[in-house]
Amino acid sequence: MLGKLLKHEFKQSARSVMLIYASAAAVILFVFFGMLTKITWIGIVGSIVLYIVALVGIVMTLVSVIKNFYDTLYSNQGYLSFTLPVKCSNLLLSKVLVSMVWIILSFVLAGLCFLVIGMNARAAAEGSMEGIWDVLEMTGLKEMLPSGATLVKLLILLVVLVLLTVLTFIGFVYFAVTLANTRLLQKHPKLFGFLIFFATYGVSNAIATKLTYSLPLSLEISTETVKLAFVAMDQSEGMLSYGLGGTIFLALVAFGLLLLTGWIMEHKVNIK
Amino acid sequence: MEQLITVENLHKSYGSKTVLDEVSFTAQPGQIIGLLGPNGCGKTTLIKILTGLIKDHTGTVRINNEEPGAYSKSIVAYLPEKTYLPDWMRPVDAINYFADFYKDFDKDKAIAMVARFGLDMKQRVKTMSKGQQEKLRLLLVICRNAQLFILDEPLGGVDPAARAKILDLILENRAASSTVLISTHLISDVEYIFDRVLMINEGHLIVNKHVNELRESGKSVEEVFKEVFSYAW
Repeated sequence: MLGKLLKHEFKQSARSVMLIYASAAAVILFVFFGMLTKITWIGIVGSIVLYIVALVGIVMTLVSVIKNFYDTLYSNQGYLSFTLPVKCSNLLLSKVLVSMVWIILSFVLAGLCFLVIGMNARAAAEGSMEGIWDVLEMTGLKEMLPSGATLVKLLILLVVLVLLTVLTFIGFVYFAVTLANTRLLQKHPKLFGFLIFFATYGVSNAIATKLTYSLPLSLEISTETVKLAFVAMDQSEGMLSYGLGGTIFLALVAFGLLLLTGWIMEHKVNIK
Repeated sequence: MEQLITVENLHKSYGSKTVLDEVSFTAQPGQIIGLLGPNGCGKTTLIKILTGLIKDHTGTVRINNEEPGAYSKSIVAYLPEKTYLPDWMRPVDAINYFADFYKDFDKDKAIAMVARFGLDMKQRVKTMSKGQQEKLRLLLVICRNAQLFILDEPLGGVDPAARAKILDLILENRAASSTVLISTHLISDVEYIFDRVLMINEGHLIVNKHVNELRESGKSVEEVFKEVFSYAW
């Protein structure tokens, strides 16, 4: 049943996010047209619009993911979702997975937009971008760039961190929306939803920040390698360090909140 | 005899307001049961509990010996009073949706019924009239070979001429062994199909009788209803 839930969840949610992707695609084509025809103003206007599309795309995707979760479960459509012959945990899992896909795609889209902006800038400068390498060399920054193997590790690390951050955000939001739609709070679900989200997310992030700096578990990042170290985050000279305590804590809390959300959906749901 | 629905000492309240209190009844396979009562008496709450839309109650509720959950939802076809299909959905989407999730959904019958009802397979719900939307919701329910049909005010927005046709449709499409629970205000239109009647008053089940028992006094179900709830007018 999870496969069918995923299929219909994609179908339902795609309606709102596809508009964002279509807009970005149209603007990217517009910028490429400017690059090919060497009409400068098209490139400039297109780059500005792409920058806006990239940022608005992320925000709109987050909003649409939250709205879709609320609409399909706690508005009238809840009568359809909650009478399906599936476990609530599967219903929730399908929504989490599809939301993660859309949010990650919105970041990829933003990355693509910035890449096109960069390509456009380079084309406009007609090769003078090579001068950037001279600047990096003069300032000594070029030596600080990581080696190829390290870069791969950093990219993997970045992907994992993005996945965890997205999962964390979804966990906190879905918990807040679900708790706000239980009997005691459902008279003002939006108000309580916001309050619960900001309270849980705020407190958890404050604790996470402390743990990031104090828990003896970090990643030491240098130009040569990225390695796990059982010491607290160290920001001394020549060393880039990333404390893992906060990230792990937030991911665990979000996972716990998702389990709690599934339990509330299964045992405390009260569709209006 | 095996019971399809078992409800024992069911209690549900919203804060200090009790909506259902000590409600107990059973229903056997094959029965058509009328769930009657004035507005706000707890009919829809009882239906939501039976369909698993409300879980925070006390007491026992079992559908075919299981608590409301994934299994019971697979054997219960529910027609809510509310419009629950999303605006973007078309009959073709709704039929595929139901066919994907409900093993007992008869897709061919649904497609035939779309034509019979004069609906367009490609028309979005948001552009349909209220009557067309009701027809679509009804056909999605009656095209299931469910063990239990729960219909909450199925005739509410339907004109008198169409009511008898809809009831005939429900009766001709259900298997003889399936149970039908109908909540309605339009008693005179429906009472001829009832086997049993449940009447709820302020959360209490005050009548749970076979229609023949009710009619022994020479009164129709509607007349008994008016007598029982005379205070409401």
